[in-house]
Amino acid sequence: MITEDIERLIPQRAPILMVDRLTQVDGAEGKTEFTIKPDNIFLDDDRRLAEAGLIEHIAQSASAFAGYQALEAGATEPPIGYIGEVKKFHCYRRPQAGEVLHTTVTMGAEVGGVTLLTGATHVGDELVADTRMKISIEK
Amino acid sequence: MTREEIIKGINQEIVEEYEVDESVIKPDAVIFDTLNLDSLSLVDLVGIVQFKFKVTIPTTELKSIKTFNDLYDYIETHLPENK
Repeated sequence: MITEDIERLIPQRAPILMVDRLTQVDGAEGKTEFTIKPDNIFLDDDRRLAEAGLIEHIAQSASAFAGYQALEAGATEPPIGYIGEVKKFHCYRRPQAGEVLHTTVTMGAEVGGVTLLTGATHVGDELVADTRMKISIEK
Repeated sequence: MTREEIIKGINQEIVEEYEVDESVIKPDAVIFDTLNLDSLSLVDLVGIVQFKFKVTIPTTELKSIKTFNDLYDYIETHLPENK
């Protein structure tokens, strides 16, 4: 279990903060957790998370993983990351307020500072979204 | 894995990823020009190779891979089973 404060790992702050904690890191894989609160800014009128909120959550999960790696390597501040591209995003169900997102991000190939990653978000055992994403992280 | 299997496997992935007709993938064709690659889409190609063949292409080695033949050669010589 990772005990690091999430605000040490990523630069985002409320109300845009979309990860509660990084729970596990294993090689190229990181896991995060996020509870959707009733005042989340990505909730639509039907009280379900907009797809953009899911993408933001997955991107911040990757950012948290990168932040953890940076701190482990001796950095004092979390790195700034940018989404370069979102590809093959699938939303199978928009989760609602009160539900807990469990996301696994897996870092893949890296070329010229651009990293390819996959992200999958579950609520319980149910896969609610997955995607491929390219991010650029300032070193 | 034979060279033919490598060629078939990587070409299939490229056709799907870059939405090109397989006929444009000729052994001596320049990859960058054929697939209209830029820095963002280049990482997809490296990702395909890593995912499909468990072969990692370091950035420094990318410069030596110009044609599809170069790519097939690289995969063939770096396949875990061939090492």
